[in-house]
Amino acid sequence: MITITGLAKTYGTIRAVHDLSLSIGGGEVFGLLGPNGAGKTTTIKMLTLLASPTAGSATIDGLSIASDKLQIKRCISVVPQENNLDRELTAYENLQIYSMLHGISDYRTKIEACLNLVELWDRRDSLINKFSGGMQRRLLIARALLSDPKVLFLDEPSIGLDPQIRRQMWDVIRKTRIDGRTVILTTHYIEEAEALCDRVGIMTKGTLIALDTPANLLSMVGEYVVEYVNGEGKLMQQICRNREEAHAAAQGRECCVTIRKSNLEDVFIRLTGDRIE
Amino acid sequence: MRKDSVNRSNSSSNLSGSNRANSSNRLNSSSGSNHLSGLRGSNGLSGLRGFFEWYPVFLREMLMFRRKLMKLGYLFSAMVVPIIYLVTFGLGLGRNVQIQGSDYLTYLLPGLVAMSSMNNSYTWVASALNLNRLYFKTFQVFVQAPIRPSSIMIGEVLAGMVKGLFASALILIVGFIVSRDLSITPLFVVTLLLNCFLFSCLGVIVGMITKSHEDTSTYNNFFILPMAFFSGTFFPVDRMPELLKYLVYMLPLTHTNIVIRQTIPDAAGLLSLGVLAAYALAFFIAGSRLISNYSE
Repeated sequence: MITITGLAKTYGTIRAVHDLSLSIGGGEVFGLLGPNGAGKTTTIKMLTLLASPTAGSATIDGLSIASDKLQIKRCISVVPQENNLDRELTAYENLQIYSMLHGISDYRTKIEACLNLVELWDRRDSLINKFSGGMQRRLLIARALLSDPKVLFLDEPSIGLDPQIRRQMWDVIRKTRIDGRTVILTTHYIEEAEALCDRVGIMTKGTLIALDTPANLLSMVGEYVVEYVNGEGKLMQQICRNREEAHAAAQGRECCVTIRKSNLEDVFIRLTGDRIE
Repeated sequence: MRKDSVNRSNSSSNLSGSNRANSSNRLNSSSGSNHLSGLRGSNGLSGLRGFFEWYPVFLREMLMFRRKLMKLGYLFSAMVVPIIYLVTFGLGLGRNVQIQGSDYLTYLLPGLVAMSSMNNSYTWVASALNLNRLYFKTFQVFVQAPIRPSSIMIGEVLAGMVKGLFASALILIVGFIVSRDLSITPLFVVTLLLNCFLFSCLGVIVGMITKSHEDTSTYNNFFILPMAFFSGTFFPVDRMPELLKYLVYMLPLTHTNIVIRQTIPDAAGLLSLGVLAAYALAFFIAGSRLISNYSE
């Protein structure tokens, strides 16, 4: 569905994305995981035609992002990182304008269906100013689904939401993958990538450093992590291949020992030496 | 109608990830996708929709404008500035002044309409576009929609024209109350529309090139404010120093002020109409290009 070849974006002397190549299959939920400034949003902006690449190419559904812009816009939708709803319009008006922009003829029925999906139909006549952050994110997803996109881009869909609302958001995102839709999301929340994605690409400093299913990525580092505080009061981590190895590693540690399942952050630390923050 | 989906399923040959729900599912599924069959099925823009692509851009501005109008504070502030100009220059300073054979108020009122239509068309578009692009990011919704850049341009410009015409109407209402010599001719209407159009286009250009909201006031201070005072709004350009006069004749508002005071255009009036049309065309093309080349 999506093929990216040597994609790069430079702002002045800053290399936001460097030589990115990957392919994403139809119906896949693909996650780009990485810390702030890793180049995830820039990648999404290039694929959704908001930013022109400095080098490289990409196709969506066989259409080139350089030459088939109008056709691509007809088959994609974007939930941006920053809320770009019109605050002075109601929820319904926001969706109405979007529908008209995308040439959706029977938009009244579709708006009702999409607002019901995100449980906001009762608030259709409220101004966006009166919406909470979580409600605005849900409305952004409803708006993106109006045009029934083949590819849905979600840029940090649950950023700034508290954990409970974030899980509600995940349920909404899971509902969006009906009908073989391809979903591409960026996140810096490890648990979000693990909970939602079929495959994850890990990015740092504009470069893709790993690409696989969450399970395969975790098997790269080991299934368990032993955390303990050392003699200097510093939190240490030891990655272990299995439970027995983890128990053995925990033996003899005196202070604050925890054994836990490894996660994608451990993969990231293993690959880069840094945490995802 | 879903032929394009069939063709595109070939592009999944290079899949490297999950392929559980392939494109044939999409074709067989009926839920939630039928509503788009008409849209997806047509590869170019259908004629009528293509022609009215600008409408949602315009409608959005109008919905917000309507909400602003409902606030009494907005209406009051929109009326206060022209009334201050009228009282200060028309009824105060200009009480005993005669220009071009008529009383000063008769001379001033068309100029105030030209100035106010310029200010409102330009400022609303430039400021809104700048804020929508840099802060609210709502402009990006237009850029990512399957419509042509010129449609975004037309929608924004028409919305700016409505705001300029609204401000002009307020002055005309006050003008009809204080002056018996004010008349609206077809040439007046054409000039007013052209003025609103070209300054809305200029608003798009400035809204697209400014790098912060503060920048818009810089352009305002360097171009719009001098134009408001030197371009024949308050006194004829002939009274300007010779050297400055040539500069002032390059400004579009000068030509609006020349034509808007005529009933039937003379040679100078026709030339000014031509200049205004040329400015309008140039600004429209430049604005459309800026939208077309938009990249973050």
